Amino acid sequence: MHTLQDPEFGNKMVTLMAALVLVLQIAMVAQRWIVTSIRIFAAQSFLLAAIANTIAYYNHAPHIYAAAALTLLAKGILVPIVLERLVARIGIRQEIKPILNVPLSIVISGGLTLVGYVLAEPFYRPDEAPGAATLGHNALAVAISLFLIGFFMMINRRNALTQVLALLCLENGLFLAAISLTYGMPLIVELGVLFDVLVAVMVLGILVYRIRETFESVDVSRMRRLRG
Amino acid sequence: MILALLLAIPLAACAVSAVARRRSVLEAVNVTAFALTFLLALGVASQVLRSGSISLWNGFLYADSLSALVILLNASVALVCSVYAVGYLREDERSGALDDDGGTNTPSFKLRKYYSLTPLLVFAMLLVTLANNLGVMWAAIELTTLASVFLVTFYGNVTSLEAAWKYAMIGGVGLSMALFGTILTYYAGHRLPGSEGLAGLNWSILVGQAAQLDKTSMRMAFILVLLGYGTKAGLAPMHTWKPDAYSEAPVPSAAILSAAMLNCAVYGLIRFYVLTSRCLGAEYPGNLLLLLGLFSMGIAVPFVLVQKNFRRMLAYSTIDQAGMMITALGIGGQLAAFALMLHMTFHTVAKSLLFLSAGNIYQCFKTDLFQKLKGGVLRVLPLTGAAFCLGTMAIIGMPPFSLFQSEFLMIRAAFGTGHFLVGALFILFGLGVFTGVTLHVSGMLLGTSEEPRAAWHPWRDSPIVILAVLLIAIGFWLPASLLELVQRAALVVSGE
Repeated sequence: MHTLQDPEFGNKMVTLMAALVLVLQIAMVAQRWIVTSIRIFAAQSFLLAAIANTIAYYNHAPHIYAAAALTLLAKGILVPIVLERLVARIGIRQEIKPILNVPLSIVISGGLTLVGYVLAEPFYRPDEAPGAATLGHNALAVAISLFLIGFFMMINRRNALTQVLALLCLENGLFLAAISLTYGMPLIVELGVLFDVLVAVMVLGILVYRIRETFESVDVSRMRRLRG
Repeated sequence: MILALLLAIPLAACAVSAVARRRSVLEAVNVTAFALTFLLALGVASQVLRSGSISLWNGFLYADSLSALVILLNASVALVCSVYAVGYLREDERSGALDDDGGTNTPSFKLRKYYSLTPLLVFAMLLVTLANNLGVMWAAIELTTLASVFLVTFYGNVTSLEAAWKYAMIGGVGLSMALFGTILTYYAGHRLPGSEGLAGLNWSILVGQAAQLDKTSMRMAFILVLLGYGTKAGLAPMHTWKPDAYSEAPVPSAAILSAAMLNCAVYGLIRFYVLTSRCLGAEYPGNLLLLLGLFSMGIAVPFVLVQKNFRRMLAYSTIDQAGMMITALGIGGQLAAFALMLHMTFHTVAKSLLFLSAGNIYQCFKTDLFQKLKGGVLRVLPLTGAAFCLGTMAIIGMPPFSLFQSEFLMIRAAFGTGHFLVGALFILFGLGVFTGVTLHVSGMLLGTSEEPRAAWHPWRDSPIVILAVLLIAIGFWLPASLLELVQRAALVVSGE
């Protein structure tokens, strides 16, 4: 059999790319420059699209190609462009000091990855569906880890823009989970989700811009007028 | 066909309002569109009563009695609020409340924003209740958040930005959990026959096969969906966006968010509850719902008691009411389900009445703080004051009014099914909110004030009169067809 058609090879490719996605996520946790974070997010989205393509190829599921192409377009290209233009407009390039320092954040992210693997365990049933269908096992663990690390980033960072990025990482985790669990949601749902992601980036982008104008900062911990 | 029209009209109104220039056009388009939507909602309800359920486009849109009831409630809130908004925004324009933000946005831009985003919000809410596919339902709920973020920042001041940020971020995180839950639900059913492709997440198909869904994933899915849609419903501890958003948004938007969007979030939870209880038994989802429901009711008590601002007090009351609905859902069984649907109906009327009268009070006294108001509302605004008083008595569950009946039924259902602690806590928290609200509202309504007596404002006062009459009427006499719709919706909830 040709190497490319061997499901085992596909499995290894997916695992490798999923590992890279996780590494990128942890790199983002440690990152201080906003533009670099945005580019890491773009790279992550590219990898996700590649994972989706690989899974589509080995499972003969053509609708995933469409989902992969849309993800690439929306999250790999459009969203990073919008966010980079926003950074240029508001002129804040560096991260505001996070609540926990970088080494501690990385340790916590590592811990969350472990939690991700534990949570993904009940979904791993190699006996039930042999062959190509086990493609997603590691990917699901990575997906849950992305989700949890995204949460952690959102709590840890005080910069409004980084919080938007963290929300997008959560969404990337969900995309990966959907791909690895069920080879993607129905296309109409993927479309709806991507549309919402795009609109959300626009809406949040405008909000970040107006927060910057009004508070002369994008530090969300300064917004504490409303209480009780 | 009627279902497609129901969605098309608000969407068309949104498109027209986005390009219209004159205020009179905007007002006319909105009021007409919502009147048509309301008539269509009546049509859907009567069709559902006659023929069970209707669907369109291979079951992509689907309405049973539960959807029909929620659609009817939400369409009536939208209609009433659109009439009220005409008067409210004219008054805002006259008093200069629209030029407060340093001139970044002109008043006419703001008006256009309000009149085009509100139909979009209503469209999204209708799509939530009409979408059969749980994934599409999720996208529609997310769209309600996105459409209403800029309604929260309507006045463009510092606090409304803060409120909108919290609203968007907490809502976004919550909904990402709900999406995860939806993905897991799809996974739980994706190997079953008939679930290939688009139909795989269709509720009407999943519900028939719920017993065969994968149990481990449904367990996780329900927790995630409960946290996600619970955030949208404003359940504690994810409720913190609610008082901010409701007190910063223009009053008609706050009324729509509080009365109609709450119904949508509870509706989403009900759909997943039915699936989960058929898959795992009613006890597992029931206990989780009871936990969050009672916690929300409990957390509302201290905040209502120490509240300084009447719009925020109403928001905490909505958190309390959401807690009640979720508790009723958690109790389970026929009676509790009936109480839940009845409560949703009554609450929709009472809470929109309260928010709209609060809007009148706010515009007349130019403050929403109890301290600055110093009482006398009944003297200055006799009609609004009376309506506010009526709504308050209804919402805290004073006996002759409608919400007393549904709350009483809930308590009876709790004791009847052996949930004694739940029943006791329900009464205790209910009493806490009762005390707090009575205390604040009596201080606000009674007493004297130096303000002159306000004139009659037809656009703002007539919706209030209609709602007040409706609130009294349905408390004593619920039209037979509406009662039947409520009963059938309850049957969908209790799954029989």
